[in-house]
Amino acid sequence: MTVTSATGTMRIVRPRRVIRRSEAKWTWLLVGVIAAILLIWEAAVSWLQLIPASFLPPPSAIAVSFGKLLVDPEFWGAFGYSLGNVAIGLVIAVVVGVTVGLAVGWSPVLRFTVAPFLWLLYSTPKVALAPLFILGLGLGSESKIALVFLLAVFPIILNTMEGAVTVSTSLVNAGRVYGVNGVALGWKIIVPATLPYSLSGIQRGAALGFTGEVLGEFLGGTGGLGHMLEYAAYQFQMDDAIAMVIVMVIIANLTLLLISTLRRRLAPWYDDRKIAGAS
Amino acid sequence: MTTTSIERNEAGAPLISVRDLSVSYDVARTGKRLTAIEGVDLDVHEGEFITVLGPSGCGKTTFMNVVAGLVKPTTGTVLVGGSPVTGPGPDRAVVFQDYALLPWRTVFDNVKFGLEMQKELKGAGWRERVQEAIELVGLAGFEQSYPRELSGGMQQRVGLARAVVAEPRILLMDEPLGAVDALTREVMRDEIEKLMAATGKTVLFITHSIEEAILLGDRIVVFKSHPGAIKEIIETGLERPRSERSIQHDPRFLELRDHLWDALQGEATAAAVSK
Ligand SMILES: Nc1ncnc2c1ncn2[C@@H]1O[C@H](COP(=O)(O)OP(=O)(O)OP(=O)(O)O)[C@@H](O)[C@H]1O
Ligand SMILES: [Mg+2]
Repeated sequence: MTVTSATGTMRIVRPRRVIRRSEAKWTWLLVGVIAAILLIWEAAVSWLQLIPASFLPPPSAIAVSFGKLLVDPEFWGAFGYSLGNVAIGLVIAVVVGVTVGLAVGWSPVLRFTVAPFLWLLYSTPKVALAPLFILGLGLGSESKIALVFLLAVFPIILNTMEGAVTVSTSLVNAGRVYGVNGVALGWKIIVPATLPYSLSGIQRGAALGFTGEVLGEFLGGTGGLGHMLEYAAYQFQMDDAIAMVIVMVIIANLTLLLISTLRRRLAPWYDDRKIAGAS
Repeated sequence: MTTTSIERNEAGAPLISVRDLSVSYDVARTGKRLTAIEGVDLDVHEGEFITVLGPSGCGKTTFMNVVAGLVKPTTGTVLVGGSPVTGPGPDRAVVFQDYALLPWRTVFDNVKFGLEMQKELKGAGWRERVQEAIELVGLAGFEQSYPRELSGGMQQRVGLARAVVAEPRILLMDEPLGAVDALTREVMRDEIEKLMAATGKTVLFITHSIEEAILLGDRIVVFKSHPGAIKEIIETGLERPRSERSIQHDPRFLELRDHLWDALQGEATAAAVSK
Protein backbone atom coordinates (compact mmCIF):
# COMPACT_ATOMS: atom_id res chain seq x y z
CA MET A 1 0.00 0.00 0.00
CA THR A 2 1.41 3.40 -0.89
CA VAL A 3 0.17 6.34 1.07
CA THR A 4 0.83 9.99 0.40
CA SER A 5 0.81 12.20 3.44
CA ALA A 6 1.71 15.74 4.28
CA THR A 7 5.22 14.66 5.03
CA GLY A 8 5.99 12.59 1.98
CA THR A 9 5.29 9.26 0.43
CA MET A 10 5.79 6.05 2.33
CA ARG A 11 5.09 2.41 1.90
CA ILE A 12 3.35 0.37 4.50
CA VAL A 13 4.39 -3.22 4.21
CA ARG A 14 2.00 -5.84 5.44
CA PRO A 15 4.27 -8.72 6.34
CA ARG A 16 1.55 -11.32 6.81
CA ARG A 17 0.58 -11.32 3.15
CA VAL A 18 4.18 -11.84 2.06
CA ILE A 19 4.68 -14.80 4.37
CA ARG A 20 1.42 -16.38 3.24
CA ARG A 21 2.58 -16.46 -0.34
CA SER A 22 5.81 -18.29 0.40
CA GLU A 23 3.90 -20.63 2.73
CA ALA A 24 1.72 -21.77 -0.18
CA LYS A 25 4.71 -23.49 -1.78
CA TRP A 26 5.34 -25.49 1.38
CA THR A 27 1.68 -26.43 1.59
CA TRP A 28 1.86 -28.06 -1.81
CA LEU A 29 5.01 -29.91 -0.86
CA LEU A 30 3.25 -31.17 2.27
CA VAL A 31 0.25 -32.34 0.24
CA GLY A 32 2.63 -34.19 -2.08
CA VAL A 33 4.42 -35.92 0.79
CA ILE A 34 1.13 -37.01 2.38
CA ALA A 35 -0.14 -38.36 -0.96
CA ALA A 36 3.08 -40.35 -1.40
CA ILE A 37 2.83 -41.83 2.10
CA LEU A 38 -0.81 -42.85 1.55
CA LEU A 39 0.10 -44.46 -1.74
CA ILE A 40 2.95 -46.49 -0.25
CA TRP A 41 0.71 -47.47 2.67
CA GLU A 42 -2.08 -48.62 0.34
CA ALA A 43 0.44 -50.56 -1.75
CA ALA A 44 2.03 -52.24 1.26
CA VAL A 45 -1.27 -53.40 2.74
CA SER A 46 -3.72 -54.06 -0.13
CA TRP A 47 -1.50 -54.97 -3.06
CA LEU A 48 1.71 -56.41 -1.66
CA GLN A 49 0.06 -57.62 1.58
CA LEU A 50 3.18 -57.01 3.65
CA ILE A 51 1.08 -56.18 6.69
CA PRO A 52 -2.21 -57.89 7.62
CA ALA A 53 -5.17 -55.55 6.94
CA SER A 54 -6.76 -56.47 10.29
CA PHE A 55 -3.73 -55.02 12.02
CA LEU A 56 -3.21 -51.94 9.86
CA PRO A 57 -6.12 -51.30 7.51
CA PRO A 58 -5.29 -49.62 4.17
CA PRO A 59 -6.23 -45.93 3.60
CA SER A 60 -9.08 -46.96 1.29
CA ALA A 61 -10.75 -48.99 4.08
CA ILE A 62 -10.24 -46.12 6.52
CA ALA A 63 -11.82 -43.72 4.02
CA VAL A 64 -14.86 -45.99 3.78
CA SER A 65 -15.16 -46.15 7.59
CA PHE A 66 -14.77 -42.40 7.73
CA GLY A 67 -17.60 -41.92 5.27
CA LYS A 68 -19.82 -44.26 7.29
CA LEU A 69 -19.04 -42.35 10.48
CA LEU A 70 -20.19 -39.11 8.96
CA VAL A 71 -23.68 -40.49 8.32
CA ASP A 72 -23.90 -42.38 11.60
CA PRO A 73 -26.26 -40.61 14.10
CA GLU A 74 -24.51 -42.39 16.97
CA PHE A 75 -21.28 -40.67 15.93
CA TRP A 76 -22.92 -37.25 15.91
CA GLY A 77 -24.38 -37.94 19.33
CA ALA A 78 -20.93 -38.78 20.66
CA PHE A 79 -19.51 -35.74 18.88
CA GLY A 80 -22.01 -33.43 20.57
CA TYR A 81 -21.41 -35.03 23.95
CA SER A 82 -17.64 -34.62 23.77
CA LEU A 83 -17.63 -31.10 22.40
CA GLY A 84 -20.28 -30.05 24.90
CA ASN A 85 -18.10 -31.21 27.78
CA VAL A 86 -15.02 -29.55 26.30
CA ALA A 87 -16.92 -26.29 25.79
CA ILE A 88 -18.25 -26.21 29.36
CA GLY A 89 -14.88 -27.08 30.86
CA LEU A 90 -13.13 -24.55 28.68
CA VAL A 91 -15.52 -21.71 29.48
CA ILE A 92 -15.01 -22.28 33.20
CA ALA A 93 -11.25 -22.52 32.64
CA VAL A 94 -11.23 -19.24 30.70
CA VAL A 95 -13.21 -17.37 33.36
CA VAL A 96 -11.16 -18.75 36.25
CA GLY A 97 -7.85 -18.66 34.37
CA VAL A 98 -8.10 -15.09 33.16
CA THR A 99 -9.30 -13.81 36.55
CA VAL A 100 -6.63 -15.63 38.53
CA GLY A 101 -3.97 -14.78 35.98
CA LEU A 102 -4.77 -11.06 36.07
CA ALA A 103 -4.94 -11.00 39.86
CA VAL A 104 -1.67 -12.84 40.34
CA GLY A 105 0.07 -10.90 37.59
CA TRP A 106 -1.08 -7.54 38.89
CA SER A 107 -0.52 -8.02 42.61
CA PRO A 108 3.10 -8.45 43.68
CA VAL A 109 1.97 -10.08 46.93
CA LEU A 110 0.04 -12.79 45.13
CA ARG A 111 2.86 -13.17 42.64
CA PHE A 112 5.34 -14.06 45.35
CA THR A 113 3.00 -16.31 47.32
CA VAL A 114 0.77 -18.00 44.76
CA ALA A 115 2.73 -18.07 41.52
CA PRO A 116 5.29 -20.70 42.60
CA PHE A 117 2.43 -23.10 43.35
CA LEU A 118 0.86 -22.41 39.98
CA TRP A 119 4.09 -23.28 38.22
CA LEU A 120 4.41 -26.41 40.35
CA LEU A 121 0.87 -27.48 39.46
CA TYR A 122 1.41 -26.59 35.84
CA SER A 123 4.37 -28.92 35.59
CA THR A 124 2.59 -31.76 37.43
CA PRO A 125 1.40 -34.45 34.99
CA LYS A 126 -2.28 -33.87 35.66
CA VAL A 127 -3.44 -36.72 33.43
CA ALA A 128 -2.20 -38.98 36.20
CA LEU A 129 -5.09 -37.63 38.26
CA ALA A 130 -7.68 -38.71 35.69
CA PRO A 131 -8.57 -42.03 37.40
CA LEU A 132 -9.08 -40.15 40.68
CA PHE A 133 -11.50 -37.78 39.01
CA ILE A 134 -13.48 -40.67 37.58
CA LEU A 135 -13.58 -42.40 40.95
CA GLY A 136 -14.63 -39.22 42.66
CA LEU A 137 -17.05 -37.74 40.16
CA GLY A 138 -18.37 -40.84 38.42
CA LEU A 139 -18.56 -42.00 34.84
CA GLY A 140 -20.74 -39.11 33.64
CA SER A 141 -19.95 -35.70 32.23
CA GLU A 142 -18.86 -34.17 35.55
CA SER A 143 -15.56 -36.03 35.71
CA LYS A 144 -14.78 -35.15 32.08
CA ILE A 145 -15.59 -31.48 32.53
CA ALA A 146 -13.42 -31.39 35.62
CA LEU A 147 -10.57 -32.97 33.69
CA VAL A 148 -10.94 -30.52 30.79
CA PHE A 149 -10.92 -27.67 33.27
CA LEU A 150 -7.88 -28.94 35.14
CA LEU A 151 -5.84 -29.39 31.98
CA ALA A 152 -6.92 -26.14 30.32
CA VAL A 153 -6.77 -23.74 33.24
CA PHE A 154 -3.04 -23.66 33.91
CA PRO A 155 -1.79 -22.49 30.51
CA ILE A 156 -4.51 -19.82 30.61
CA ILE A 157 -3.52 -18.65 34.10
CA LEU A 158 0.19 -18.64 33.37
CA ASN A 159 -0.04 -16.90 30.02
CA THR A 160 -2.40 -14.26 31.38
CA MET A 161 -0.11 -13.78 34.35
CA GLU A 162 2.89 -13.32 32.11
CA GLY A 163 0.96 -10.82 30.01
CA ALA A 164 -0.13 -8.83 33.05
CA VAL A 165 3.40 -8.80 34.50
CA THR A 166 4.93 -7.55 31.27
CA VAL A 167 2.53 -4.65 30.72
CA SER A 168 5.02 -1.83 30.31
CA THR A 169 5.15 0.87 32.98
CA SER A 170 5.05 3.50 30.29
CA LEU A 171 1.58 2.33 29.20
CA VAL A 172 0.40 2.48 32.79
CA ASN A 173 1.96 5.94 33.09
CA ALA A 174 0.20 7.07 29.92
CA GLY A 175 -3.06 5.82 31.43
CA ARG A 176 -2.47 7.70 34.67
CA VAL A 177 -1.49 10.94 32.93
CA TYR A 178 -4.70 10.89 30.93
CA GLY A 179 -6.88 10.31 33.94
CA VAL A 180 -7.31 6.54 34.10
CA ASN A 181 -7.26 5.30 37.68
CA GLY A 182 -8.06 2.30 39.84
CA VAL A 183 -10.41 -0.20 38.25
CA ALA A 184 -10.48 1.69 34.93
CA LEU A 185 -6.72 1.22 34.74
CA GLY A 186 -7.43 -2.50 34.78
CA TRP A 187 -9.89 -2.63 31.92
CA LYS A 188 -8.49 0.21 29.82
CA ILE A 189 -4.83 -0.73 30.03
CA ILE A 190 -4.06 -4.03 31.76
CA VAL A 191 -6.77 -6.20 30.19
CA PRO A 192 -6.25 -5.15 26.57
CA ALA A 193 -2.48 -5.32 26.95
CA THR A 194 -2.84 -8.84 28.34
CA LEU A 195 -5.49 -10.08 25.92
CA PRO A 196 -3.16 -11.51 23.26
CA TYR A 197 -1.34 -13.50 25.94
CA SER A 198 -4.60 -14.84 27.36
CA LEU A 199 -5.78 -15.88 23.91
CA SER A 200 -2.55 -17.70 23.31
CA GLY A 201 -3.05 -19.50 26.64
CA ILE A 202 -6.64 -20.31 25.70
CA GLN A 203 -5.47 -21.84 22.45
CA ARG A 204 -3.08 -24.11 24.31
CA GLY A 205 -5.71 -24.81 26.95
CA ALA A 206 -8.27 -25.86 24.33
CA ALA A 207 -5.89 -28.41 22.85
CA LEU A 208 -5.06 -29.84 26.27
CA GLY A 209 -8.72 -29.77 27.31
CA PHE A 210 -9.72 -31.84 24.32
CA THR A 211 -7.04 -34.37 25.19
CA GLY A 212 -8.42 -34.43 28.73
CA GLU A 213 -11.95 -35.13 27.49
CA VAL A 214 -10.92 -38.01 25.25
CA LEU A 215 -8.70 -39.46 27.92
CA GLY A 216 -11.47 -39.27 30.49
CA GLU A 217 -13.93 -41.05 28.20
CA PHE A 218 -11.30 -43.62 27.44
CA LEU A 219 -10.60 -44.40 31.07
CA GLY A 220 -14.20 -44.60 32.12
CA GLY A 221 -17.04 -43.06 30.27
CA THR A 222 -20.51 -43.69 29.05
CA GLY A 223 -20.40 -41.72 25.82
CA GLY A 224 -18.40 -39.45 23.59
CA LEU A 225 -15.79 -39.82 20.90
CA GLY A 226 -13.19 -41.31 23.23
CA HIS A 227 -15.69 -43.91 24.32
CA MET A 228 -16.50 -44.79 20.71
CA LEU A 229 -12.84 -45.03 19.92
CA GLU A 230 -12.22 -47.33 22.83
CA TYR A 231 -15.13 -49.52 21.74
CA ALA A 232 -13.84 -49.77 18.14
CA ALA A 233 -10.34 -50.61 19.30
CA TYR A 234 -11.66 -53.19 21.74
CA GLN A 235 -13.55 -54.86 18.88
CA PHE A 236 -10.39 -54.81 16.75
CA GLN A 237 -12.15 -52.67 14.16
CA MET A 238 -8.96 -50.91 13.31
CA ASP A 239 -10.37 -49.05 10.30
CA ASP A 240 -13.11 -47.55 12.50
CA ALA A 241 -10.59 -46.73 15.21
CA ILE A 242 -8.23 -44.95 12.85
CA ALA A 243 -11.12 -43.04 11.25
CA MET A 244 -12.07 -41.87 14.76
CA VAL A 245 -8.52 -40.71 15.42
CA ILE A 246 -8.60 -38.75 12.19
CA VAL A 247 -11.86 -37.12 13.25
CA MET A 248 -10.23 -36.06 16.51
CA VAL A 249 -7.21 -34.63 14.76
CA ILE A 250 -9.55 -32.64 12.54
CA ILE A 251 -11.58 -31.37 15.49
CA ALA A 252 -8.48 -30.37 17.42
CA ASN A 253 -7.08 -28.47 14.45
CA LEU A 254 -10.37 -26.76 13.68
CA THR A 255 -10.53 -25.60 17.28
CA LEU A 256 -7.02 -24.18 17.08
CA LEU A 257 -7.86 -22.48 13.81
CA LEU A 258 -11.01 -21.02 15.30
CA ILE A 259 -9.13 -19.62 18.26
CA SER A 260 -6.33 -18.16 16.19
CA THR A 261 -8.90 -16.51 13.93
CA LEU A 262 -10.55 -15.17 17.06
CA ARG A 263 -7.20 -13.88 18.19
CA ARG A 264 -6.61 -12.05 14.95
CA ARG A 265 -10.11 -10.59 15.23
CA LEU A 266 -9.89 -9.54 18.84
CA ALA A 267 -6.27 -8.44 18.77
CA PRO A 268 -5.56 -7.29 15.23
CA TRP A 269 -2.84 -4.99 16.52
CA TYR A 270 -0.75 -7.83 17.82
CA ASP A 271 1.98 -9.62 15.97
CA ASP A 272 1.32 -13.36 16.55
CA ARG A 273 4.94 -14.29 16.31
CA LYS A 274 5.89 -12.17 19.29
CA ILE A 275 4.17 -14.35 21.87
CA ALA A 276 6.04 -17.31 23.21
CA GLY A 277 4.54 -17.76 26.66
CA ALA A 278 3.89 -20.93 28.61
CA SER A 279 2.94 -23.80 26.39
CA MET B 1 26.79 35.49 29.17
CA THR B 2 23.74 36.24 31.25
CA THR B 3 22.84 33.46 33.56
CA THR B 4 19.59 34.20 35.30
CA SER B 5 18.30 33.15 38.64
CA ILE B 6 15.82 30.31 39.09
CA GLU B 7 13.02 32.81 39.02
CA ARG B 8 12.25 35.02 36.06
CA ASN B 9 11.65 38.64 36.89
CA GLU B 10 7.95 38.60 36.51
CA ALA B 11 5.05 39.49 38.71
CA GLY B 12 2.67 36.93 40.19
CA ALA B 13 3.11 33.46 41.65
CA PRO B 14 4.78 30.87 39.43
CA LEU B 15 2.63 28.17 37.86
CA ILE B 16 5.21 25.50 38.61
CA SER B 17 7.45 25.84 41.59
CA VAL B 18 10.16 23.29 42.34
CA ARG B 19 12.18 23.55 45.53
CA ASP B 20 15.18 21.50 46.56
CA LEU B 21 13.89 18.51 44.66
CA SER B 22 15.80 15.26 44.71
CA VAL B 23 14.81 11.83 43.52
CA SER B 24 16.60 8.57 44.14
CA TYR B 25 15.64 5.16 42.85
CA ASP B 26 15.98 1.81 44.56
CA VAL B 27 17.88 -0.39 42.19
CA ALA B 28 16.53 -3.83 43.02
CA ARG B 29 19.31 -5.71 41.25
CA THR B 30 22.18 -4.22 43.24
CA GLY B 31 20.18 -3.24 46.32
CA LYS B 32 21.69 0.26 46.16
CA ARG B 33 20.04 3.64 45.85
CA LEU B 34 20.78 5.72 42.81
CA THR B 35 20.45 9.47 43.06
CA ALA B 36 18.92 10.58 39.77
CA ILE B 37 18.54 14.29 40.55
CA GLU B 38 19.53 16.43 43.48
CA GLY B 39 18.78 19.93 44.72
CA VAL B 40 16.70 21.08 41.77
CA ASP B 41 15.10 24.53 42.09
CA LEU B 42 12.98 26.02 39.33
CA ASP B 43 10.07 28.40 38.93
CA VAL B 44 8.05 28.44 35.76
CA HIS B 45 5.50 31.14 35.04
CA GLU B 46 2.29 30.79 33.12
CA GLY B 47 2.87 30.93 29.37
CA GLU B 48 6.59 30.29 29.60
CA PHE B 49 8.35 27.93 27.25
CA ILE B 50 11.15 26.14 29.09
CA THR B 51 13.57 23.94 27.19
CA VAL B 52 15.66 21.39 29.06
CA LEU B 53 19.06 20.33 27.78
CA GLY B 54 21.51 17.86 29.26
CA PRO B 55 23.56 14.76 28.64
CA SER B 56 21.87 11.38 28.46
CA GLY B 57 21.02 9.91 31.84
CA CYS B 58 21.26 13.19 33.74
CA GLY B 59 17.71 12.94 35.02
CA LYS B 60 15.67 15.04 32.60
CA THR B 61 12.92 12.43 32.27
CA THR B 62 12.95 11.87 36.01
CA PHE B 63 12.48 15.61 36.59
CA MET B 64 9.60 15.77 34.15
CA ASN B 65 7.96 12.69 35.66
CA VAL B 66 7.95 14.36 39.05
CA VAL B 67 6.17 17.40 37.62
CA ALA B 68 3.77 15.06 35.83
CA GLY B 69 3.00 13.35 39.15
CA LEU B 70 4.28 9.96 38.01
CA VAL B 71 7.31 9.87 40.29
CA LYS B 72 7.26 10.99 43.92
CA PRO B 73 9.97 13.35 45.12
CA THR B 74 12.39 11.77 47.58
CA THR B 75 12.89 15.17 49.16
CA GLY B 76 11.75 18.66 48.29
CA THR B 77 8.49 20.05 47.00
CA VAL B 78 6.80 20.55 43.67
CA LEU B 79 3.87 22.94 43.47
CA VAL B 80 1.64 23.32 40.44
CA GLY B 81 -0.77 26.22 40.58
CA GLY B 82 0.14 26.66 44.24
CA SER B 83 -0.74 23.18 45.48
CA PRO B 84 1.61 20.21 45.93
CA VAL B 85 1.61 17.58 43.20
CA THR B 86 0.10 14.34 44.47
CA GLY B 87 -0.39 12.63 41.11
CA PRO B 88 -1.18 13.29 37.49
CA GLY B 89 -3.97 15.74 36.68
CA PRO B 90 -5.90 17.08 33.72
CA ASP B 91 -3.92 20.32 33.90
CA ARG B 92 -0.78 18.49 32.71
CA ALA B 93 -0.30 16.38 29.59
CA VAL B 94 2.83 14.40 28.75
CA VAL B 95 4.50 13.51 25.47
CA PHE B 96 6.52 10.44 26.39
CA GLN B 97 10.03 9.80 25.19
CA ASP B 98 9.06 6.23 24.25
CA TYR B 99 5.68 7.38 22.80
CA ALA B 100 3.65 5.08 25.12
CA LEU B 101 0.84 4.64 22.61
CA LEU B 102 -1.79 2.00 23.28
CA PRO B 103 -1.03 -0.67 20.66
CA TRP B 104 -4.65 -1.91 20.58
CA ARG B 105 -6.02 1.47 19.60
CA THR B 106 -5.94 3.11 16.21
CA VAL B 107 -4.38 6.52 15.73
CA PHE B 108 -7.78 8.14 16.10
CA ASP B 109 -8.58 6.28 19.32
CA ASN B 110 -5.13 6.94 20.73
CA VAL B 111 -5.59 10.65 20.25
CA LYS B 112 -9.10 10.41 21.66
CA PHE B 113 -7.55 8.85 24.77
CA GLY B 114 -6.16 12.31 25.55
CA LEU B 115 -9.63 13.59 26.39
CA GLU B 116 -11.86 10.61 27.01
CA MET B 117 -11.55 10.63 30.79
CA GLN B 118 -12.44 14.31 30.98
CA LYS B 119 -16.20 14.35 31.06
CA GLU B 120 -16.70 17.98 30.12
CA LEU B 121 -14.56 17.50 27.01
CA LYS B 122 -16.41 14.47 25.78
CA GLY B 123 -19.43 16.56 24.89
CA ALA B 124 -20.39 17.51 21.37
CA GLY B 125 -17.57 18.31 19.01
CA TRP B 126 -14.97 15.99 20.48
CA ARG B 127 -14.59 14.16 17.17
CA GLU B 128 -13.68 17.39 15.45
CA ARG B 129 -11.14 18.16 18.15
CA VAL B 130 -9.51 14.77 17.71
CA GLN B 131 -9.47 15.18 13.96
CA GLU B 132 -7.97 18.65 14.27
CA ALA B 133 -5.19 17.38 16.51
CA ILE B 134 -4.43 14.59 14.02
CA GLU B 135 -4.25 17.09 11.18
CA LEU B 136 -2.06 19.38 13.22
CA VAL B 137 0.64 16.70 13.44
CA GLY B 138 0.27 15.81 9.76
CA LEU B 139 -1.29 12.38 10.18
CA ALA B 140 -4.53 12.89 8.29
CA GLY B 141 -5.27 9.70 6.39
CA PHE B 142 -3.78 7.47 9.10
CA GLU B 143 -6.69 7.68 11.55
CA GLN B 144 -7.44 3.98 11.29
CA SER B 145 -3.84 2.73 11.37
CA TYR B 146 -2.46 0.88 14.38
CA PRO B 147 0.74 2.19 15.98
CA ARG B 148 2.76 -0.80 14.82
CA GLU B 149 1.96 0.13 11.24
CA LEU B 150 3.58 3.55 11.70
CA SER B 151 7.18 4.69 11.68
CA GLY B 152 8.80 5.87 14.91
CA GLY B 153 8.44 9.51 13.94
CA MET B 154 4.77 9.05 13.08
CA GLN B 155 4.13 7.35 16.42
CA GLN B 156 5.82 10.21 18.18
CA ARG B 157 3.48 12.63 16.43
CA VAL B 158 0.48 10.61 17.59
CA GLY B 159 1.80 11.07 21.13
CA LEU B 160 2.01 14.80 20.49
CA ALA B 161 -1.56 14.96 19.17
CA ARG B 162 -2.80 13.03 22.20
CA ALA B 163 -1.14 15.54 24.51
CA VAL B 164 -2.46 18.69 22.84
CA VAL B 165 -6.00 17.50 22.08
CA ALA B 166 -7.37 18.36 25.52
CA GLU B 167 -5.52 21.70 25.57
CA PRO B 168 -3.99 21.24 29.01
CA ARG B 169 -2.56 24.18 30.85
CA ILE B 170 0.89 22.62 31.03
CA LEU B 171 2.56 20.51 28.36
CA LEU B 172 5.42 18.25 29.37
CA MET B 173 7.29 17.06 26.32
CA ASP B 174 10.12 14.54 26.54
CA GLU B 175 12.11 14.77 23.32
CA PRO B 176 8.90 14.95 21.30
CA LEU B 177 10.71 15.37 18.01
CA GLY B 178 13.58 12.97 18.64
CA ALA B 179 12.49 10.37 16.09
CA VAL B 180 11.20 12.80 13.47
CA ASP B 181 13.16 13.59 10.29
CA ALA B 182 14.74 17.03 9.85
CA LEU B 183 12.07 18.44 7.55
CA THR B 184 9.06 17.27 9.52
CA ARG B 185 10.88 18.39 12.61
CA GLU B 186 11.05 21.93 11.35
CA VAL B 187 7.38 21.92 10.41
CA MET B 188 6.39 20.47 13.78
CA ARG B 189 8.62 22.89 15.65
CA ASP B 190 6.94 25.82 13.91
CA GLU B 191 3.54 24.33 14.71
CA ILE B 192 4.42 23.87 18.36
CA GLU B 193 5.73 27.41 18.61
CA LYS B 194 2.65 28.86 16.93
CA LEU B 195 0.32 26.76 19.03
CA MET B 196 2.00 27.80 22.24
CA ALA B 197 2.12 31.44 21.28
CA ALA B 198 -1.56 31.40 20.33
CA THR B 199 -2.82 29.53 23.38
CA GLY B 200 -0.37 30.75 25.99
CA LYS B 201 0.41 27.25 27.21
CA THR B 202 3.18 26.59 29.64
CA VAL B 203 5.71 24.14 28.28
CA LEU B 204 8.54 22.02 29.61
CA PHE B 205 10.34 20.70 26.58
CA ILE B 206 13.24 18.23 26.81
CA THR B 207 15.54 18.07 23.84
CA HIS B 208 18.98 16.88 22.79
CA SER B 209 19.30 19.57 20.17
CA ILE B 210 21.00 22.83 21.14
CA GLU B 211 19.44 24.68 18.20
CA GLU B 212 15.98 23.44 19.12
CA ALA B 213 16.46 24.51 22.73
CA ILE B 214 17.36 28.04 21.64
CA LEU B 215 14.73 28.25 18.94
CA LEU B 216 11.84 27.28 21.18
CA GLY B 217 12.80 28.32 24.66
CA ASP B 218 12.15 31.47 26.62
CA ARG B 219 14.60 29.99 29.08
CA ILE B 220 16.96 27.06 28.71
CA VAL B 221 17.57 24.83 31.71
CA VAL B 222 20.89 23.02 31.41
CA PHE B 223 21.30 19.84 33.43
CA LYS B 224 24.54 18.22 34.49
CA SER B 225 25.01 14.61 35.55
CA HIS B 226 26.50 12.65 38.48
CA PRO B 227 24.30 13.51 40.18
CA GLY B 228 21.69 15.11 37.96
CA ALA B 229 21.23 18.75 38.86
CA ILE B 230 20.63 22.09 37.21
CA LYS B 231 23.91 23.51 35.95
CA GLU B 232 22.55 26.81 34.72
CA ILE B 233 19.45 28.56 33.47
CA ILE B 234 19.75 30.86 30.49
CA GLU B 235 17.26 33.40 29.23
CA THR B 236 17.32 33.37 25.43
CA GLY B 237 15.94 36.87 24.95
CA LEU B 238 15.26 36.38 21.24
CA GLU B 239 12.37 38.04 19.44
CA ARG B 240 9.36 35.96 18.55
CA PRO B 241 8.24 34.67 16.16
CA ARG B 242 11.48 32.89 15.45
CA SER B 243 12.22 30.68 12.55
CA GLU B 244 15.18 28.46 11.87
CA ARG B 245 16.14 30.64 8.91
CA SER B 246 15.78 34.06 10.50
CA ILE B 247 17.67 33.05 13.59
CA GLN B 248 20.70 31.48 11.90
CA HIS B 249 22.68 34.73 11.67
CA ASP B 250 21.43 36.41 14.81
CA PRO B 251 24.55 37.14 16.92
CA ARG B 252 22.61 36.31 20.08
CA PHE B 253 21.76 32.89 18.67
CA LEU B 254 25.39 32.22 17.78
CA GLU B 255 26.54 33.33 21.20
CA LEU B 256 24.02 31.08 22.93
CA ARG B 257 24.88 28.17 20.72
CA ASP B 258 28.60 28.41 21.43
CA HIS B 259 27.99 28.77 25.12
CA LEU B 260 25.65 25.77 25.31
CA TRP B 261 27.98 23.75 23.14
CA ASP B 262 30.85 24.34 25.58
CA ALA B 263 28.65 23.66 28.59
CA LEU B 264 27.38 20.36 27.23
CA GLN B 265 30.71 19.23 25.91
CA GLY B 266 32.22 19.82 29.34
CA GLU B 267 29.43 17.68 30.78
CA ALA B 268 29.88 14.91 28.25
CA THR B 269 33.62 14.75 28.88
CA ALA B 270 33.10 14.77 32.62
CA ALA B 271 30.61 11.92 32.26
CA ALA B 272 33.02 9.92 30.12
CA VAL B 273 35.90 10.43 32.59
CA SER B 274 33.86 9.49 35.64
CA LYS B 275 32.89 6.14 34.11
N1 LIG C 1 12.73 3.49 37.18
C1 LIG C 1 14.05 3.64 37.42
N2 LIG C 1 14.67 2.80 38.28
C2 LIG C 1 16.00 2.96 38.54
N3 LIG C 1 16.78 3.89 37.99
C3 LIG C 1 16.21 4.75 37.13
C4 LIG C 1 14.83 4.66 36.79
N4 LIG C 1 14.55 5.64 35.90
C5 LIG C 1 15.71 6.29 35.68
N5 LIG C 1 16.71 5.77 36.42
C6 LIG C 1 18.10 6.26 36.47
O1 LIG C 1 18.06 7.62 36.75
C7 LIG C 1 18.99 8.32 35.95
C8 LIG C 1 18.30 9.41 35.17
O2 LIG C 1 17.43 8.82 34.21
P1 LIG C 1 16.52 9.67 33.23
O3 LIG C 1 15.71 8.73 32.45
O4 LIG C 1 15.79 10.67 34.05
O5 LIG C 1 17.61 10.38 32.31
P2 LIG C 1 17.41 11.31 31.04
O6 LIG C 1 18.14 12.57 31.33
O7 LIG C 1 15.99 11.40 30.68
O8 LIG C 1 18.21 10.51 29.91
P3 LIG C 1 17.96 10.46 28.33
O9 LIG C 1 18.37 11.77 27.78
O10 LIG C 1 18.87 9.36 27.88
O11 LIG C 1 16.52 10.14 28.13
C9 LIG C 1 19.70 7.29 35.09
O12 LIG C 1 20.94 7.01 35.65
C10 LIG C 1 18.81 6.10 35.15
O13 LIG C 1 19.58 4.94 35.11
MG1 LIG D 1 14.85 10.76 29.08
